[in-house]
Amino acid sequence: MASVELHDVRKVYGGSITAIHGVDVEIPDGEFVVLVGPSGCGKSTLLRMIAGLEDITGGEVRIGAKRVNELPAKDRDIAMVFQSYALYPHMTVRENMGFSLRLRKAPKDEIDRGVANAAQILGLTPYLDRLPRHLSGGQRQRVAMGRAIVRNPQVFLFDEPLSNLDAKLRVQMRTELKALHQRLKTTSIYVTHDQVEAMTLADRIVVLHDGKVEQIGAPLDLYDRPANQFVAGFIGSPAMNFLGGTVRRSNGAAAVAMVDGTRLPLPAGAKGGDGQQVVYGVRPEHLALGDSGMGFPLVVSVVEPTGADTLVFGTVGGSEVCAVFDERHAFKPGETVHLAPKGDRVHVFNADDGAAL
Amino acid sequence: MTATRFLERLPLYLVGLAVALWTLLPIYHLLLIAVSPPDKAVAGDIIPQTVTLQNFITILGSKHNLVQNFWTQIWNSTLIAVVTALLTLVVGIGANFSISRLRIPGGRLITNIALLTYLIPAAFLAIPMYRTMGQYGFLDSPWSMIFAMVTLASPYAIWVMNQASAKLPVELDEAARIDGATPLQILRFVYLPLMAPTLVAIGIYALLLAWNEYLYAFLMLSTERQLTLAPALGIFLAFDDAPWALMMAAGALYALPPTIVYYMFRRYMVGGLTAGAVKG
Repeated sequence: MASVELHDVRKVYGGSITAIHGVDVEIPDGEFVVLVGPSGCGKSTLLRMIAGLEDITGGEVRIGAKRVNELPAKDRDIAMVFQSYALYPHMTVRENMGFSLRLRKAPKDEIDRGVANAAQILGLTPYLDRLPRHLSGGQRQRVAMGRAIVRNPQVFLFDEPLSNLDAKLRVQMRTELKALHQRLKTTSIYVTHDQVEAMTLADRIVVLHDGKVEQIGAPLDLYDRPANQFVAGFIGSPAMNFLGGTVRRSNGAAAVAMVDGTRLPLPAGAKGGDGQQVVYGVRPEHLALGDSGMGFPLVVSVVEPTGADTLVFGTVGGSEVCAVFDERHAFKPGETVHLAPKGDRVHVFNADDGAAL
Repeated sequence: MTATRFLERLPLYLVGLAVALWTLLPIYHLLLIAVSPPDKAVAGDIIPQTVTLQNFITILGSKHNLVQNFWTQIWNSTLIAVVTALLTLVVGIGANFSISRLRIPGGRLITNIALLTYLIPAAFLAIPMYRTMGQYGFLDSPWSMIFAMVTLASPYAIWVMNQASAKLPVELDEAARIDGATPLQILRFVYLPLMAPTLVAIGIYALLLAWNEYLYAFLMLSTERQLTLAPALGIFLAFDDAPWALMMAAGALYALPPTIVYYMFRRYMVGGLTAGAVKG
């Protein structure tokens, strides 16, 4: 096992298209780090650069304190699980999992032992002599992980490994992956566009956007203290509500006034000077029903009961807002309800650059 | 099948019957003449009056001055066809693996140029090829035919293989690289096994191309013991009184090996040669 360090890593295609703009991340030995971001943000490119499948234009990648920029993939001592699984279709599960050891010319009994061990961990023992095409999606996914485990690498790399599975299986495999990491404690770098996967699996999350790191932190840190509007909107589901307005302070009370005059109450310690243009952010689950005179009015448009909770969509001062309630409500479209942010869980972002105040 | 269903399909069956007759009738006449006694060969019977294997015995025993080198010539045909097939595969695999898997720069250009040469009819190239072979001293040796046939078969081989290998996900190569494979190991353990059906199809294509070739063999091979069977059969017609029965029997024997090869590998032929026909 080893640490992974990225220092000012850059990727430029064809001399002009910059995919990665100087990324710095330090991943200590044994940590599970998730690279998350919308499609096209460069997360897969970054992972492939660590794997040695893409050239590194600038900066440095170190695995276990050793610079690997110039090392071919096979000498980096990493294992990778691909989105498409990339199982060799003409080889049995046993041959797929033992392929790397076979290439290393390991003795047959060592290969057998490694494969048997990985198969036992993943529950693949009954399927060892089958071809990949005779396996279900979840089983193929396990074989792909088994192939990585057999190598006993310094670092596991995962490139959206669960996105080809159906929703139910995805949740199951997610749990298995987490259990697997708790057992093997191998340094892991995991790429996904699914923020729920990121939140549930990661020790730390790296949020990427347009080839730049927006924020690095523990999942709940990102949820509670997003560094900017992008992270705030990306982490959490349903996404945070954003309402534009101007900070108004008078007599010690503060609020954000929207263009139509709706006043959004700010907690006592909120930053932002009088007259500053800001974006007011509040998560749907941090809105509570209040009486008129408290909080702000929401004109209901759609109510979605999911059983566990109720999603209420509507407009505040012309902007779309979503609220989630644990209790059940049967609001009618067009009805006006009053919402107040719970406690002080309101985020205020600079309207110009989206940075949290 | 119900009667209405049969009627609905009747036009299709009629077209099928016509095509089958069109294809089989010449073969029927070939076999008909081949089993007729030499003096009855061109009598015009649709049903043979007497059936004899004498023509085949004459040929296989080389008992006629026209077929005295029959076994040498069939060996020449076989040697040229097999070596052409193997060399075409070597050229095709080398080109395709480096272009589509190792992604060497300029790969697309090479593919396009190769395909362009495929558009030039082989007959146009016969004279230049004859001159080239003459300059290198290959005329009247099997190598002239082998090199010419490999040249003609390779562009098509490269094109079909590019189409087929485009269907192999690049992640397989990447997974193998991470598993520790060198390019040659990727070729051996991943590429070749997965390309096998296409390779069989390409090999047979080149084999049959060389086996069936008449024009190039007629031009480049001259002495009787160097000839392949195709131009050797042509010599039969050089006589005023062509021995038709013997010629048709030899033709039947000549057609036998490709028929057997095609039948043995027919599954690969259909699957392999149409591999690039439609996007999967």
